[in-house]
Amino acid sequence: MALPLQPGLTPMEVAFLCEMEMVTVIPRQRLESLNLLGGPTPALRPPHRAPIPLWLALLLKRQRRANILPPPWLLPSSLDSILKYETDISPQTFSPPPPHPYPISAQPAATDYTSPPFLPSSTADSPPDYLPYHWLELGEILLEACPDDIPDPDRVRTLLRDLREVRMAKMRASIKDLEGGGVSSLRGVGAMEVAEGRQFIVGVMDELRKLGLSREIARREREEDEGGGAGGEDEDEDMGFE
Amino acid sequence: MSYYDIDAILTDSQKIPCTFELDVPNLGYLDNNAGHTLKKGTRVDLPLWLAEMLAVSSPNSTKPLVTVDLPPCLAPRVMNALKADPKSVDLRALAQHFYGLGSRILELFEEEEVCDVLMETFRTRAAEISDHASNAGASQRGGGGGVGNDGVEFLRGLDETERGLFRAAHDSSKSMRVWMGEMKKK
Repeated sequence: MALPLQPGLTPMEVAFLCEMEMVTVIPRQRLESLNLLGGPTPALRPPHRAPIPLWLALLLKRQRRANILPPPWLLPSSLDSILKYETDISPQTFSPPPPHPYPISAQPAATDYTSPPFLPSSTADSPPDYLPYHWLELGEILLEACPDDIPDPDRVRTLLRDLREVRMAKMRASIKDLEGGGVSSLRGVGAMEVAEGRQFIVGVMDELRKLGLSREIARREREEDEGGGAGGEDEDEDMGFE
Repeated sequence: MSYYDIDAILTDSQKIPCTFELDVPNLGYLDNNAGHTLKKGTRVDLPLWLAEMLAVSSPNSTKPLVTVDLPPCLAPRVMNALKADPKSVDLRALAQHFYGLGSRILELFEEEEVCDVLMETFRTRAAEISDHASNAGASQRGGGGGVGNDGVEFLRGLDETERGLFRAAHDSSKSMRVWMGEMKKK
């Protein structure tokens, strides 16, 4: 409460993080490899496509030195099928996130826990028909920066709005069955949607927990009484410190 | 509930009815009877923090000093109204910190049913609040009727916790709209 800043991220911060996503560009001019903190960028040689971070792509686009290739999921056909999935096929849950690009085997590997923005979910060879983590902000940024590179931008814009509406409605509906413990499922929810819903959902959950606190304590005491004879003493001690 | 939290302090200062179990000399001013003894069995409204202290601490370990009753805002009549339609009850008129008082009372009394009703009420009303919060700014800008007539009444009846929620939900959807608007300008 002392900090004027709310917990969580503002939309601008989310958009800033989104600029780390890799996108595919078609360069118009040559550009040697740049040694960035995140590793060297590929040398740009027209007309070969190359994956570079979004912020660099936006810069080059503004200077008319590259064209951005929109990710497959940002095409009207793909958005159409996602919207269909959201409204018709599964009106309760969110559409699933893209599948993990690295094979996950029984043996744990370092790539198992790689998450956006370190996954190439918005390059030209990313899978269509799945909304990645940064779908909303990436879509908006690309529509703003390079409507000439996206086929049928007006339709894409409308579809993005529709998707957002549908998913916000689902988010609101999920509040009705919130428990003090947690949300039903946030699988497939994007970064911007989390940022928008966070304060409200956390507030509701906090209050529900406060209201249920006395019952929870009573339940624990009961369990403690019952478990006391059964030898669960370690557990009981732990509870005492909570 | 934090020590410096003004809402927690205000919650604790709400009054609840208590009955004295002992004669207390010179406490008559609590019952508009200054200078006299406060008789045993008198009903007085005391702030929650004081009532809790008096009810828990007992001078001679047999009887507590006061017994605490359920405040009128958690009476069965209100509970029935909340069960029937959570959205039509003016919580603010009942108590400014309705849920805060409720959870504090639940610490003192074991009222399974009140707990159920309060949680269900909060959940239903939270969904309603979120709808109003996301619509309020949008329709104002459109020049439409704003929040509907019943909506105004509902929003007036929110308690402090719910007002905080409304503000949070409204702020986040507003900052979202601002961001999207800025994208357009560039």
